[in-house]
Amino acid sequence: MEGDLLTVAIVVGVALAFDFTNGFHDTANVVATSVSTRAMPPRLAVGYAAILNFVGAFISLQVAATVAEDVVNPASIGLLAVFGGLVAAIAWNLVTWYFGLPSSSSHALIGGIVGAVLVADGADAIFFKDGVLGKVMIPALVAPTLAFAIAGLSILLIYRIVGRLRPGSVTAGFRAGQVISGGMLALAHGTNDAQKTMGVIALALVAHGNLPASDPTPPTWVVVSAATAIALGTYAGGWRIIKTMGSRIHKMDSAQGFAAQGAGAAVILASSQAGFPLSTTHTISGAVIGSGAAKRLSAVRWGVAGNIVAAWVLTLPAAAAMGAVTYAVTRLFGTGAVGPVVVSVVILAGGALLFARRAQQARTPTTTAVEA
Amino acid sequence: MIGAIVDGGELLHVAWVSLASGLGVTAAWAVAIVGGSRALEFGRDGRGVEAAIFAILGLAALVAVLAAIVLGIVALIDK
Repeated sequence: MEGDLLTVAIVVGVALAFDFTNGFHDTANVVATSVSTRAMPPRLAVGYAAILNFVGAFISLQVAATVAEDVVNPASIGLLAVFGGLVAAIAWNLVTWYFGLPSSSSHALIGGIVGAVLVADGADAIFFKDGVLGKVMIPALVAPTLAFAIAGLSILLIYRIVGRLRPGSVTAGFRAGQVISGGMLALAHGTNDAQKTMGVIALALVAHGNLPASDPTPPTWVVVSAATAIALGTYAGGWRIIKTMGSRIHKMDSAQGFAAQGAGAAVILASSQAGFPLSTTHTISGAVIGSGAAKRLSAVRWGVAGNIVAAWVLTLPAAAAMGAVTYAVTRLFGTGAVGPVVVSVVILAGGALLFARRAQQARTPTTTAVEA
Repeated sequence: MIGAIVDGGELLHVAWVSLASGLGVTAAWAVAIVGGSRALEFGRDGRGVEAAIFAILGLAALVAVLAAIVLGIVALIDK
């Protein structure tokens, strides 16, 4: 057992804050397709996605079990290592958000935890081969590829089946279908992403002695709070999306939207059943690119696809390094609550600074814009 | 080498389940659109038998989509 009750409360609070930012960050991925094809009005799409993210968090615990048992050894992990990993993931998300890099919150979380545990408890506490590689990295590479292929094949199948119908009927039919496919995608997102937070909170409860290391199943309050945090984040993130909608989203027809959402949901749900903690961002992006590429290769922004691959390679080691540093800094203040309090204040201040700078940049016209 | 690291059976299971459900649901929904659309066209032309056949086809495809979704969720909950 490590740490006092205040430290546990801080770690749980930081984990839920991460979950909220995860929902906030990913709203765009989940609702953009439905909104851009006008299958649903933005406000309705965001509310619908928030509710289904909440529901999705309750339908499985396989991913939570993988995060709590298979990546690091729950019997040897300490509370401050969990804290270090979480702070690293939030910090990495903030930095990549600031610079506009397409990063995965899930990879950042796993990377952060692995880095912090490496410094805190040594390499023996990490299941590199079967856990990090076998259950995180390889499935995370396979899933977007699979979503790309399924979405591409789906759109070819759709055009073959409905090819002789009037375009109006096809558009109306697939817009109606997107209510289902968009809902399934939101459900899938809640299932996979909320469970990662549940797994991390379970690790913290094991470290504090509230849960046995042999069976770190998250208790009901953890499931409910993680579901609520991701749903609130999704809803809050939606208002930002509504404001920027229409200018940033690549246009696609409703059949492509249906194919992309269906493929993304199918891969994420099947992976959740197997307990693979995927990057839902990368999987959905793979499906969107696949549905575009099947219609016309030049319709795909291959530069964006390249950035996703670069972020995939970079996120795990970078978040791991940040997790290691965060743990080391927190540990300087001892094993009590002082370190987590100090580090939390620093990360809050850093986050506020980045938000303020971003807001200032948004208000200030750039040189290019002025010249234009 | 990858086979030694990752549970190949589990990954293969994910691949075929997502491929079958993704393509199956997409095809069924497309058939539902064809069925509904053709049923309306034949109905407007006064060809009742053809309209009924396409309406049944569309309805069956719609039921297949809903059944696939329910089965998928039940499979997730049960594991």
